[in-house]
Amino acid sequence: MANEKVDVVIVGGGASGILLAAKLGQAGKKVVILEMGPPLALDDLVSSQIWSRRLKWGGVPVVSEGKNPVAHNFQSGWGLGGAAMHQFANWPRFHPEDFRVKSQYGRGLDWPISYDDMRPYYDRIQKEVGLSGDHVAEVWRPAGDPYPMPPIKWYRQAELLAEGFGKIGMRTAPMPLAINSVPYNGRPACIYDGWCEAGCPTGALVNPQVTYLPIAKKAGVEIRTHAYVTRVLMNAKGERASGVEYYDKNKERQEQRADVVVLAAFSASNPRILLNSATDRHPKGLANSSGLVGHYVAAHITFSAFAMFEENTENHMGTSGAFGMSQDGYVKDSHPGFGSYTWTIGVAMKPNDVLGFANSRPQLFGSALHDFMKRASRGLARIGVQAEELPNAENRVVLSERKDAYGFPLARVIHGLDENSMQLFNHIRAEGDRIVKATRAKETWTNPSPGLAHFLGGTVTGKSAKDSVADGYGRTHDVGNLFITGGGLFPTIAGVHPTFTLHALTLRTADYMAKNWGGIAA
Amino acid sequence: MASVNRRMVLKGAALGALAYTVGGAEVLLSPREAHAQGLALKVLSADERAALEALGETLLPGAKDAGLAHYIDQQLSVDPSEALLIARGVGVIPPYVNFYRAGLAALDQTSAKLHGAKFAALAPEKRSEFVEQFRQKVPEGWSGPPSPFFYFVSRADAVDVFYGTVEGFERLGIPYMPHIVPIRKW
Repeated sequence: MANEKVDVVIVGGGASGILLAAKLGQAGKKVVILEMGPPLALDDLVSSQIWSRRLKWGGVPVVSEGKNPVAHNFQSGWGLGGAAMHQFANWPRFHPEDFRVKSQYGRGLDWPISYDDMRPYYDRIQKEVGLSGDHVAEVWRPAGDPYPMPPIKWYRQAELLAEGFGKIGMRTAPMPLAINSVPYNGRPACIYDGWCEAGCPTGALVNPQVTYLPIAKKAGVEIRTHAYVTRVLMNAKGERASGVEYYDKNKERQEQRADVVVLAAFSASNPRILLNSATDRHPKGLANSSGLVGHYVAAHITFSAFAMFEENTENHMGTSGAFGMSQDGYVKDSHPGFGSYTWTIGVAMKPNDVLGFANSRPQLFGSALHDFMKRASRGLARIGVQAEELPNAENRVVLSERKDAYGFPLARVIHGLDENSMQLFNHIRAEGDRIVKATRAKETWTNPSPGLAHFLGGTVTGKSAKDSVADGYGRTHDVGNLFITGGGLFPTIAGVHPTFTLHALTLRTADYMAKNWGGIAA
Repeated sequence: MASVNRRMVLKGAALGALAYTVGGAEVLLSPREAHAQGLALKVLSADERAALEALGETLLPGAKDAGLAHYIDQQLSVDPSEALLIARGVGVIPPYVNFYRAGLAALDQTSAKLHGAKFAALAPEKRSEFVEQFRQKVPEGWSGPPSPFFYFVSRADAVDVFYGTVEGFERLGIPYMPHIVPIRKW
């Protein structure tokens, strides 16, 4: 079934898709968002770690393999708002060198844009959605406007952990958070009950439901949920995108024609759609003359160290995002293992789920686990890391032999950490051990092996079709009216959480599209 | 946001209520209540239930009475996109029943091979010894999902039903502080 042609069809109703839709809608464009998952509303955000799993991936299976499989389902989202509905809201900026890793260090890849290109968009985003932080205390922070709100409140856990950093000569600062420390733009201040991962229904935490979705709706953006996009459709000459094919809630095939097509789905889904869109003219898949669609998937290397204090750490209070940070290890070549990393200092914890009390001591079971839970609920504290994995073309999304209900191959993700990543992890682990041992805790321990967070790359941005899939605006090199947004564009991932950069990059794309519409849609 | 910008603490709310069929009618019960009422399972067999409850009780004493088997079974009966199981978040490919069936079968078969009896028939100390073994390394002959991963998921399930609820928080002496209490049908 064909639907009325629109100016823009956006595949994916997550943070980047909704932001782009809002801006293009405000610019007078007729926009349709196709979201694979269900509609969500704030009153769906039930306060429960068990219920929080409704916000995790529930779509067609993504097969995750390799030496260190990415945690696709945990990182991605399900429903309108996408992964940003369960984000922890740690929003540090990338540093200038993060955009020029290859030219500055001779490793990895370069972005086709610089920090100076991005700075105005970081500043605009933080003003539009609201960030809490302390730009003075954050001595590592690149140039930028001060945060519009003061930092969030610290509970005892953060103070006790920061002592450990200080005792070994490391500096700390409040973590910049996309969480209101005071009322902002009509949204209330956080009340620190730690349910962020289950979705924040109060509006204190930035998620699309309280930021750009209302703007998009007001601007007339049409949103179709339960819309599973399988292919980008091309015109008769095979030169320009003409729309997308999708299957609706009733499993009926639909076509949505548009002047401009934007893939704003998760980093595993965009390559799946591009590869499944192969035609005679594009036998390797769309936008894939580089052969790089699906390649350079990357994730942040994570690590946790724990400290059990005798005094009450108030660890049930706070946010899922960290109270504090340290970027004393951010200079990429200043330590064993190349790459940047950011320490996170203290988070609110719940008893259950992946990051709960119980999983901080995964080897305990039986009565020993009960004993531990009682002690942890009073005295546990946690530091963590987001560390940079360098781009590796072998880490990739390919099409699986398994197929969906319509006969299209599923996405298969292959990922492993290389020797450099393990060197970096081992350095971080040793440093983390020193930090928690420097606190006044009676018992400390560290995770023995690396974890992975976020899921980036796969449709990376670069200067030409020789080395990348899209340009600095997310416009694919091969198809002039086909764009990509989101974390899949990141050629390098820095040593910080990606969501702020994802927003800033998307806003830059929105500006570009609105200002150059004639040249894009023609 | 006026409707949700304050805590919505609903006293007496049945946190963790799932939909069960009692006498032909659908009712909302917590897994603990469903267990206490002896409701029949919809998906898992008697042998699978016995293995699951014995494993849960070994991993976290009290998990059986907290309704572990009824929780898992009810969740296996819903569409995977509606599931609340931790298996969903950690990358188990649906349908999730395949994961539990294969894991529980491997548990019983390997237990019988190594210890001479199905897992539920082992003495408590022998169960703990076996868990300590398979949580670290896949035993020879184990044919289900990797045993350390099965341990991880099963243990997390037990923690969910015992500690992931309002009464679980109360056991630990920490306030639940919900914005929105999960009183609707799971």
